[in-house]
Amino acid sequence: MKFVPYVFRSLFRKKTRSILTIVSIVLPFFVICVLGTLLMALDADTSGGKGMYRLVVRHKVSLGNAIPEAYRERIAQLPGVKDVTILNWFGGTYKDNRPENMFARFGCEPDQLLAIFDEVTIVNGTAADWTSDRSGALVGERLMKRYGWKLGDKFVLKGDYYPVNLELTVRAVFRGSDETGIYFDRKVVEEGLPAVKGQVGTFWIKADSAEAVQRLPRVVDALFENSSAPTKTETEKEFQNGFVSMLGNVRAIVTGISTAIGLVILLISANTMAMAARERVTEIAVLRTLGFGKPLILTLILAESLFLSATGAFVGLGLFRLAFPVLKEGLLNSPMAGFAAGMQLFPEVLLTGVGITLLVGLVAGIVPAIRSAQRSIPDGLRQVG
Amino acid sequence: MAEPLIRIENVVKQYTRDTQVLTVLDGLSLEVEKGDFVALMGPSGSGKTTLLNLIAGIDRPTSGRILVGADEVSAMSEGALARWRSENVGFIFQLYNLVPVLTAFENVELPLLLTRLSKAERKKQAETALAVVALSDRLDHYPRQLSGGQEQRVAIARAIATDPALLVADEPTGDLDSKSGEEILVLLERLHSEFGKTIVMVTHDPKAAARAHRLVHLDKGVLKEDVRAKGEKGEIGVAAAAAIAAGR
Repeated sequence: MKFVPYVFRSLFRKKTRSILTIVSIVLPFFVICVLGTLLMALDADTSGGKGMYRLVVRHKVSLGNAIPEAYRERIAQLPGVKDVTILNWFGGTYKDNRPENMFARFGCEPDQLLAIFDEVTIVNGTAADWTSDRSGALVGERLMKRYGWKLGDKFVLKGDYYPVNLELTVRAVFRGSDETGIYFDRKVVEEGLPAVKGQVGTFWIKADSAEAVQRLPRVVDALFENSSAPTKTETEKEFQNGFVSMLGNVRAIVTGISTAIGLVILLISANTMAMAARERVTEIAVLRTLGFGKPLILTLILAESLFLSATGAFVGLGLFRLAFPVLKEGLLNSPMAGFAAGMQLFPEVLLTGVGITLLVGLVAGIVPAIRSAQRSIPDGLRQVG
Repeated sequence: MAEPLIRIENVVKQYTRDTQVLTVLDGLSLEVEKGDFVALMGPSGSGKTTLLNLIAGIDRPTSGRILVGADEVSAMSEGALARWRSENVGFIFQLYNLVPVLTAFENVELPLLLTRLSKAERKKQAETALAVVALSDRLDHYPRQLSGGQEQRVAIARAIATDPALLVADEPTGDLDSKSGEEILVLLERLHSEFGKTIVMVTHDPKAAARAHRLVHLDKGVLKEDVRAKGEKGEIGVAAAAAIAAGR
């Protein structure tokens, strides 16, 4: 402890350089935290554990292929199936194709949907208001705020993949993990487009036990294996991860970027510590002359390096904590809302960020520290000229 | 005759530069008595700073033995040598070599950090050392706020803070004007006479050497002349030092 003042003063003998170095650690640390949080959010359960019991059945070939509605009865009869419902992606355009007007639009079975997604709560209007109106829409609370809608407001979804325009009325508002979607009775699409009648995009199953969640995918897929529309059944999490994988190997990309950032911090810190050690060759020789042993010199220089990176990490941590709500709010109002819903201050991400930064500080300080400790004292003293 | 504090026995020091072997000290033997004030003189490259470094335990001889008191400095491990230096030797450099980010007090306290003294004891000892060099009013000044002479006095306070028996000085007045240099020499003389320190000082300056009680002249790594002042408290004298330095 008695050497702390010396370490601290040495660190700030070139204030501008030290501050710039800390800033150059803070920014990459911040980016590592953002990337890590997004990566963790992809795996986060936003249903409060209730999504664990949900399974999704779709066509084995792709989501673009429909499966017959007739499967519904056969699935519902399987042991372990508590509820089953239909969810059909609609697409369409609201106003225009700008990113701020993109949100999820699904045709569903209003009387079944809330039984399957039982973590969802109605915060304005009632489920009955919605289910009793064929053109009623259940709208996410965030979307209501974005467009300033009120109950009873009407809006039009212009069909594109399904060439039918839907005029819908806001009947209820929900709060859940992704509050930027709208849900309406699938029959309004079938009425406007009879060709799609009896066709289903996905069945959503609520299983009655963890054992059923394990068993049902094999059972359901075996049931339709030799039909004209074979199925692929997976857990909700696997289904969502399938969308993530459409973006490419996100994990590899994020890990790669984080590694590159880690290396950048390493080089910056190493450069600073090498400069600091080089400028103090004589001073270190003097300290050794006074009796400071090699291990102590090594410790002092490493402590400086660690202190520098720790300061950067903790400033970055503070900044990230301050910026996090703003960042999350921004993403929740963007087309990435589905991914952002799982964002939180994951302790493992923050600890990993701090750990990487401290490790980098240690590694960056080692070479200058060893060099300084190894140099002979007369050589160090001669540097004066 | 007083007992020798330093015994240098047939010391050889060689450096290898590329493939060339350079002999800086060539079989040198010398004894320095406890409480003596010795000036090492000689032309550049004569080996005087190398000899000082060997005595102070910051360099090792290629062969031969160096003993300071009962300790064989030339046989100590690096760690033991560092501990030995912190307890037994005070260093005074030509360019003062104070740590620029520390105050005068903190610079003097530096060697005390290696001891087991409490904070209060360290404070007392550092303040005493600064009082000896008449800088009690400059405790919180940084080196950049001090004159060259004051910086060297802080360096001397740092050298005596742990109360070592041996002080080694490498051109202590070499970077100072004559007035400040004189003050430093008076201070060294005081440390020798009042506090009984054994001082070995490298210098080119006959005026500085004149204050010593013994003058050792080196040339090309060998002892050329070894002159002792007459009388108990005698000094070499400027004329004699100048003559020896000039090789007459």
